[in-house]
Amino acid sequence: MSESIVWLHGDSLSATDPALRANPDAPAVFVFDEDLLASYGLTFKRLFFIYECVAEAIAAHPGGGEIRRGTVPGEVLAFARERDAGRIHVTATDAPRFTRYRAELRQTLPVELYEVTPLVEFSGQARRFSQLWREIEEEALSFTPGEG
Amino acid sequence: MRIEVTGATREERATSLAGGLAGLFEGDAAISTVAGGRAEGLRRLAAFDARSYASQRNYVVGGNVSHLAPYIRHGCLTLAEVRDDVLRRFGPQAGHKFIAELAWRFFWHTVYARIGDGVYSEQERPKYNRPRDKALPDDVAAAQTGLACIDRSLHDLYSTGYMHNHGRMWFASYLIHHRGVHFSAGARLFDRHLLCGDPAVNWLSWQWVDSSYSHKPYIFNKDNVYTYSRGQYCETCPAKDRCPFDSTYPALWRSLFGVEMPEEGNRGNAGRGQARGGARR
Repeated sequence: MSESIVWLHGDSLSATDPALRANPDAPAVFVFDEDLLASYGLTFKRLFFIYECVAEAIAAHPGGGEIRRGTVPGEVLAFARERDAGRIHVTATDAPRFTRYRAELRQTLPVELYEVTPLVEFSGQARRFSQLWREIEEEALSFTPGEG
Repeated sequence: MRIEVTGATREERATSLAGGLAGLFEGDAAISTVAGGRAEGLRRLAAFDARSYASQRNYVVGGNVSHLAPYIRHGCLTLAEVRDDVLRRFGPQAGHKFIAELAWRFFWHTVYARIGDGVYSEQERPKYNRPRDKALPDDVAAAQTGLACIDRSLHDLYSTGYMHNHGRMWFASYLIHHRGVHFSAGARLFDRHLLCGDPAVNWLSWQWVDSSYSHKPYIFNKDNVYTYSRGQYCETCPAKDRCPFDSTYPALWRSLFGVEMPEEGNRGNAGRGQARGGARR
């Protein structure tokens, strides 16, 4: 019996995904989102690229995992039930759809969020790139703390 | 529903996956030669030489770009680790231009975090006065506009899921400003095909070319295409004697927008500035 699962989504498909790394024994699930794909009409080239990213990440993950299709919250919860898991781990992303799905999942199970190391720490607002660049240039051209 | 993918080769796995995803994709089950996964992303990163990037990045023929965008878009590589690797191997001076491009992606995502699904709609009033058609013209969809710079860029997109960033800018400018098509039709086309298709980077970059997220529209001329395709596109172009881009920037501006070009000139003619978002690489 596993106590938790990792939900992988399209913005963080790597064995180095922070949620995967923090939970090496938790099985992972990725869902091809039928609602999204119905509206976007992506080519198979894109879907196969995504599949290759997912497959490699899962193959390297000690907890293993699987790929599904359907509605994302429904499939993630079904996977959690099958694994008798009571908690979902996932890496944060800016996508509004992710926020909606996470809120839906939270109605059933606790969802623990992990953050990707950003290019720079920036909490301000910049309307134009030039404005942002003036503020972050020095930091952007420096190593991530601890990596230099 | 669980999807089982089997097969010893990419082609066999593609056939297997296409069965599992039946009804969820557009067109046939062709795959790109570009393979997914962090290992391939790391291989490309190691092969990338940032030193000639600033001077060669705009060349669609014989240039130097990283081809890392699909891997960054899907989180196989993070912006921070790519930056760290470039700094480690080339230092901040040689890596400056490339890291600034990483920062463009970061920038579009700060906008995305703020406006969310707003990326899909005009963020500012376009700086021209002309209605736009919402449908993608058939000749564009078929990569048969008769213009080499456009058709070859589209052919790359349709066959591999990749289009050089400069080609993206030419195509976007052509579609919006010459053909009078709304940026959303182009952004949707890129969403469907680009391996690096990202809502924020793609849609906001189209708005940048349009001028609905920038101070003015982006245009280009034949000299620009000739230079950055090293003559190859223009010399083989079926329309080389009637090129719609064969003009000065002020004259193009006047014919497209019906007004005089602003003093600052066009970004596309400024040497720098080719860059923007198009997600690309």
